[in-house]
Amino acid sequence: MTATPEAWQRALTRFVTVIPHTRELGLEVVTVAPPEVLLRLPWHDDLLGDTARGLVHGGVLTMLLDTACGSSVLCALPVPEVCPTLDLRVDHYRPAVAGQPLWVRARSLRVTASMVFTEGMVWQEPEERPVARGIANFVRLGARNTPPGFAEALFAEEQPHV
Amino acid sequence: MFEGFHDVAWLEKTRAEGDVAAWMALIPYARRIGVSAVTDPQGEGLLFRLDPRDGNVGNVLLPALHGGVVAAFMETAATLDLMLAAREPRLPRIVDVSIDYLRTARVEPTLARCRLLREGRRLANVQVSAWQRSETEPVATARLHFVLEACEQNA
Repeated sequence: MTATPEAWQRALTRFVTVIPHTRELGLEVVTVAPPEVLLRLPWHDDLLGDTARGLVHGGVLTMLLDTACGSSVLCALPVPEVCPTLDLRVDHYRPAVAGQPLWVRARSLRVTASMVFTEGMVWQEPEERPVARGIANFVRLGARNTPPGFAEALFAEEQPHV
Repeated sequence: MFEGFHDVAWLEKTRAEGDVAAWMALIPYARRIGVSAVTDPQGEGLLFRLDPRDGNVGNVLLPALHGGVVAAFMETAATLDLMLAAREPRLPRIVDVSIDYLRTARVEPTLARCRLLREGRRLANVQVSAWQRSETEPVATARLHFVLEACEQNA
């Protein structure tokens, strides 16, 4: 879809703020360069998986990778379609720690008639020290199974009522 | 006494009592998404339950639970189940997870059952199945590897 990076940044911001889980956690879309996205999750104490040691819950990283890879899918398609996650694999390189934002960069690697293949990396500064890597495959449901106006709603000028 | 997963005395005590609630108190993200342990009506072990709360929604059109939240639920279930089922009190650290999404997870209660397929000296493999209306129709299956860390004796 021929939209500017800025238009995509606004569209995918809308995408992650319409999702209740990521809206409530304050997930931000930082930059979009189709088919790649950069997202940032601000620190929140609810992200912890081990309060005593101050470690982030591994599931937070899975959730972030699913969301980021899914966002990259939207900007990789000719026209945005609804694409559920088929499967997802996450490797945990090192623990993520309390108090710092989590960054995730994800990209779509290949779009076929039925699938979109993606990968993503999560880190806390610096980017050279990743905490987790994910690969996720998404199913294209196609225009027939995408609600009418799905793409238009992403790029609408006004925030949808949520 | 310092209370935490790395404190072997505390881990031993809570494990002997099957006090999963004490463990949940140290896992804010699992509490946020609404994970709890429930007794398995068909056996002696535990099932895990994910509360169908609005904050867990990932698709407002269907509506459906966020796939990443379902994954976080299954990882929590696998970790806690492993802490209970392991031969001795050990602290699992996740190495990798692979999840298959089989059906749309509706905004309804979700249950999970874990199977410890292998517990070695250093590594464990746990399989998790999650379902909603019927266990024979899982919404997702996952397999996870954990490193089993030795607890600090003088935490």
